[in-house]
Amino acid sequence: MSEQKEVVEDFDFHGEALDEIFEDYDVMLNKCPVGHSSKYGGFTYIAKSEDIFAAEQDPDTFAVAPSMLLPSFGTDDPLIPIDIDPPTHAGYRKILLPLFTPMNIASLEPGMVETAKQLAEDVISAAADNDGVADVSKLFARPMPTIVFSRLAGYPEEDWPKFDQWVDDIIYRRTKEPEVAYAAGGKITEYFDAMIKKREAEGGEYNDLLDKVLNSQVDGRELTHEEKISYSFLLFLAGLDTTAWALRSSLWYLAGNPKAQQQLRDNPDEIPTAVEEFLRTLSPVQAMARTCLKDTVVQGKEIKAGERVVLVFGAGNRDPEVYEDPHDIKIDREDNRHLAFGGGIHRCLGSNLARKEMVIGLEEFLKRVPSFEHAGGEVWHGVGPLTLRIGKE
Amino acid sequence: MAKELYIDLSRCQGHARCWAIAPETFGIDDEGYAYVIEGREGSYDEENVRKAIRNCPERSILIRETEESQ
Ligand code: SF4
Repeated sequence: MSEQKEVVEDFDFHGEALDEIFEDYDVMLNKCPVGHSSKYGGFTYIAKSEDIFAAEQDPDTFAVAPSMLLPSFGTDDPLIPIDIDPPTHAGYRKILLPLFTPMNIASLEPGMVETAKQLAEDVISAAADNDGVADVSKLFARPMPTIVFSRLAGYPEEDWPKFDQWVDDIIYRRTKEPEVAYAAGGKITEYFDAMIKKREAEGGEYNDLLDKVLNSQVDGRELTHEEKISYSFLLFLAGLDTTAWALRSSLWYLAGNPKAQQQLRDNPDEIPTAVEEFLRTLSPVQAMARTCLKDTVVQGKEIKAGERVVLVFGAGNRDPEVYEDPHDIKIDREDNRHLAFGGGIHRCLGSNLARKEMVIGLEEFLKRVPSFEHAGGEVWHGVGPLTLRIGKE
Repeated sequence: MAKELYIDLSRCQGHARCWAIAPETFGIDDEGYAYVIEGREGSYDEENVRKAIRNCPERSILIRETEESQ
């Protein structure tokens, strides 16, 4: 191993920077747990688990406005509810929180199983037609959340084929080609503008998330049209991209670790625990932004009011003070209070849904698809191709 | 003095880890927040419950001293 660096210069948490980000985390955690980067207009990062936890519990010091997203998600409008601070935030969150309880999510289970089964069969037949090789990102990790979430949210099936491109343009191209992200953001805004107007004109009975957003009150009033679009915009990106990444990165790990793969295939009841470990180590959300509202000190470093701050969940999730052998992926790790879904008032609203999709997705995939290994040598992160060679039974 | 398990609802954010790990002790209400199932307040020393306490992301599962009930 080469000498460990003393500082992480211009820390970045998107795109290619993710290739070696775990090494950056080590340097940050060991040598500079709070530091500065000039990326994205400049920010101070916070890397240690305990400090991230404290910051999330203190929204009066670490606010989300103007946005938790850095760089933005193809829009300059604050997204509801994640870019909204107290006291307004709670009312928005209340609209959907009850729909995301584990009990409500459980009712979606049969549909999820059916979808995962079907997609796993698609993987098998694609591999059979192509010398045993298939792109399981395209065939499984991406379509599963698209189908499950679109049904729950109420997006018509004929629109689904458009979604991947919008997600890619915003989430994966925003760092280098912001104009592409903004163009896609414009399309999503138009899409929901039209869908909301249509629903409101036609009336009709719906039982989905969009309906909830359209018909709920906040502070005793209906949401404005702009608020409805903003909420829908956020749900769309949050519901589709992150779970696709999480499924893909779990399969990426299992493809390179035949023992763990077989262990979970033979013992599906161990999958929920393994899922927590994949979330800890390979999570789609490595960092989120805040804005410091009052001068404060973290790890002896001064953070000034007005500074942008990035909470590096991915680093906190590999903090040796919290996790034994933090870089080891132990699928049976029992104590796993990770930060993959964030915490405090902005805790990921969809965490119970994401967990369920991951568990069912992995269960069905492992049950149906015989042993698989890497055939393309792709990176761990993102939602790009994951080419696997699938063995015969 | 006796002890009892409780949820600090000012901190609970509805991650539902407690329910996933120790469903015999924790429930989730219709709003999405946790509660200790009636009659399970004394279960704080059980292995599952300790595990739930260690895994609650908000550290909102707590134990407090209570006055002995008459
Ligand atoms: S794990 Fe903690 S934060 Fe989550 S529901 Fe249970 S008590 Fe609340």
